[in-house]
Amino acid sequence: MKSSFVLLAASLGLAFTVAACAGGDSTRPRTFSTDWLDDQGKSIAAVQARLKGAPAGATADLVVAVAGEKNDKLIGAPLTGGAKWTFQHALDARPMIVGSVVIASGANEIFALDATTGKRLWARPTGGLALLGAGDDGTLTAVTLSRGTGSVILVIGRDGAVKREIETDKQLGDPAVIGGVILVPWANQYVSAIDALTGDELGRVTLRDKVTRADQIGGAVYFGEVAMVRFDEKISMASQGGASRVAIPARELPGTPRLFAPGTEKLPPVANARDRDRLFARPSAPTGPLGIDSGRFYASYFRLVYGFESSRGQLAWVHTHASDVIGADAVQGGVLLCDEEGKMVVLDARTGQVSYEASFGEPIKSCVAHADTYKALPPPGGGLSLAQQIAEAVSSREATLATGQRLLLRELGTLEDEVATKTLVDLASDPRTAPVLVTDARAALATRRNGTTFMLSALGKHYDFLRDVLASPPVGPIADALAAMKEPKGAPLLASHLLDPAITDDDVRRAAAALAILATKEELPMLLHFFAMYRGTAESDEIGLAVASAAEAILRLDPKEGRALVEHAAKDPTTVAIARPRLEALLAATAAATKPAEPKK
Amino acid sequence: MRNFLRFAVTVAGIGIAFISSDAAGQKPAVKADKKKPATAAAPAPIDVKPIVAKLKTGDEAQIKEGLDEARLAGPPGAAAAPVVAEVLTRGLSLPLTQAAIETLGDLESDAGSAALSQYTSHRNAKVRRAAVKALTRTKGAPASAALKRSLSDADAVVRGTAASGLGALKAKDSVPELFIALDHRVNEAAVSIGQLCTGDQCEQLAGKLGKIPFDVVTGGLDQVLFRPAAEVSDDVKVKIVGRIREQGTIEGNKFLKDVQKRAGAAALSARVKQAIDQAVAATAGGVQ
Repeated sequence: MKSSFVLLAASLGLAFTVAACAGGDSTRPRTFSTDWLDDQGKSIAAVQARLKGAPAGATADLVVAVAGEKNDKLIGAPLTGGAKWTFQHALDARPMIVGSVVIASGANEIFALDATTGKRLWARPTGGLALLGAGDDGTLTAVTLSRGTGSVILVIGRDGAVKREIETDKQLGDPAVIGGVILVPWANQYVSAIDALTGDELGRVTLRDKVTRADQIGGAVYFGEVAMVRFDEKISMASQGGASRVAIPARELPGTPRLFAPGTEKLPPVANARDRDRLFARPSAPTGPLGIDSGRFYASYFRLVYGFESSRGQLAWVHTHASDVIGADAVQGGVLLCDEEGKMVVLDARTGQVSYEASFGEPIKSCVAHADTYKALPPPGGGLSLAQQIAEAVSSREATLATGQRLLLRELGTLEDEVATKTLVDLASDPRTAPVLVTDARAALATRRNGTTFMLSALGKHYDFLRDVLASPPVGPIADALAAMKEPKGAPLLASHLLDPAITDDDVRRAAAALAILATKEELPMLLHFFAMYRGTAESDEIGLAVASAAEAILRLDPKEGRALVEHAAKDPTTVAIARPRLEALLAATAAATKPAEPKK
Repeated sequence: MRNFLRFAVTVAGIGIAFISSDAAGQKPAVKADKKKPATAAAPAPIDVKPIVAKLKTGDEAQIKEGLDEARLAGPPGAAAAPVVAEVLTRGLSLPLTQAAIETLGDLESDAGSAALSQYTSHRNAKVRRAAVKALTRTKGAPASAALKRSLSDADAVVRGTAASGLGALKAKDSVPELFIALDHRVNEAAVSIGQLCTGDQCEQLAGKLGKIPFDVVTGGLDQVLFRPAAEVSDDVKVKIVGRIREQGTIEGNKFLKDVQKRAGAAALSARVKQAIDQAVAATAGGVQ
């Protein structure tokens, strides 16, 4: 027995149960025993049947924030319109909203507040143990505390009296309580049903996903961490994969967000980097087929919040917030966000539009939310298109957003909306854009097949030191796109860039390749100029290849005289090595024609 | 070969902005020489036939030899300029390209300006620098246009050389562009502005005192003060002296003293000299 536990027990002044020693009915597992053999769901089915009619306990629709210079202020903001409350207390862990109470810890005690009023219900010393999780059924509160490599469960009544204390050397997760039964995950794979008053294990289920949390959401209990398994009549089939289970689809996400923090992890009172990179989803209903509420799951990445379609993971919308999102939770019909400035916003699940706004009245350090019955109101409508939302999101120059913006750029490249083309052109042309985004924007731009107006407009600009135009447009990608679209209006503009020393060698190569397809007689002088100037002075393979492309265009546009020119260059030893064999190949492949050819169709 | 030469001529005469139709490398160099002031004892033109023959061989070594000989000849070999321009326009290796550009500069014939203008847009900054530098010597309309365009070049040396060149070319219409260049820290523009400005423009240059480095502005104002009265009136010069005096700085005093020293030998009016003398005295105890 560890000394800290002795201290705790002594301070609590109660008799406790050492879990491994608990005996009882031989049909049930011994509490947290590891010699238990999977009973194919029999014991948990019995527990589920027993609790089926049990009262669900009080519901809560509340957001609680940690504030204050010393992180010692709790602010409660009811989502259903009640008055805000505050409570001053030192904090060493993130508060939790369970049923109708808020559980928090600090200054060597855990304490419970009434979720509606913020009044203290009780406080108990912890002996310095870390608060991991809590559950409440309206009568009893079960709190899990970390003790070395093991854990302690305290069962506390509304009067603050400890009804039962259970010690185990196992790592317990975040529990839920229904009808006097504690449902507590442990060892990442089990959920044990513990009689809150006797400490006996009534049943157990083995889950196929990692499980460290049991959460009551909207009238049902869900087990999970990477997925959500509902505690319903199918729970007995969990070990065979037959439980009511829902998970979000695998897809590329910004950063490495997690759906839930592990229930075995003590969360600090102040939000950290992991709180700025999260996933959120809400199970669809307490009964019936289990899905994701509103068909949406959400990801936050600093100031960006993404709404994804839940069946295939497609991006549905993106919201650019004014400051970093440090806490959030999925609610019915949307997602609730808290930011550093102390603002609360609810976004509509379908569109990402703001449907509710409120404020804590001061900057906050972290926030937790719980919404059992709250439902996001539909927004007024008339919001931005996805392409416009992405354009707004990627326009921010903050370096921290680059990873999230890269994901958006890849999404943007798949949209038919011409605004997508404009955004890609703007990003690729702006010298302030992060280099990684420029690379992505250029790659996406080359594959566009619409928005030629924006492309042509961009090509009308050249580097101009005196006019403060210090970046060239993305000539290469635009050249690729215009050539693929056979856009004749691109030819003169591309030809002018062919002779612009400010564009990259790669852009020259691609512009010349496009002109091999698009150029008309009008561009012939430019092509001749380029060909003559670089056939002997090309300093890179790209320019050498551009010379060959220019020759291809010249041969097409003026087969007779162009051929003489190219023949001479192919034989001339001063012509760069990379171009000569290509010129010879062109000559071999083209018969001398007498009539000028039209642009390729 | 005939077709090829036709193409070379076409390239030389393409309608891009910086190439004028009357300077397509066809003007005889003697014509350019005739434009030189009669007071300058122009050396007699030399026979450039051997040089031209080498340039037309198409052989790299021969062309190099021809270019070297043309450079040694200098302006008296200006008759070779159209052929040098032609081979340059046709396309050469990088070393020969640079040699041809420098040769055209040394020949100082405006017959080379059109070809040189093309190379002010070459991707190699060294080539552009050489082309801009050569254009300041060959002059002609294409040179001015190309140098104006080169003020916007990405390379600072090209910009600076172009700015200086516009002054040397007496391209008065370039002054507004030179002011923009000066505001973009192309310091060489100040001297050219001083060489080219009208009265109002000269005062505009003086207005830059205190906004851009003193030495940069006075580099241009120095030019203004010593220009003939027919180009810049005494009123303007006195105003400029007054602007420097108003600065009340030691560097202003130092500059004015330097001007005062040279004023004696220059054809400055008594009024301007008096203004300078008074300004020197007034700024003697100037601030740092």
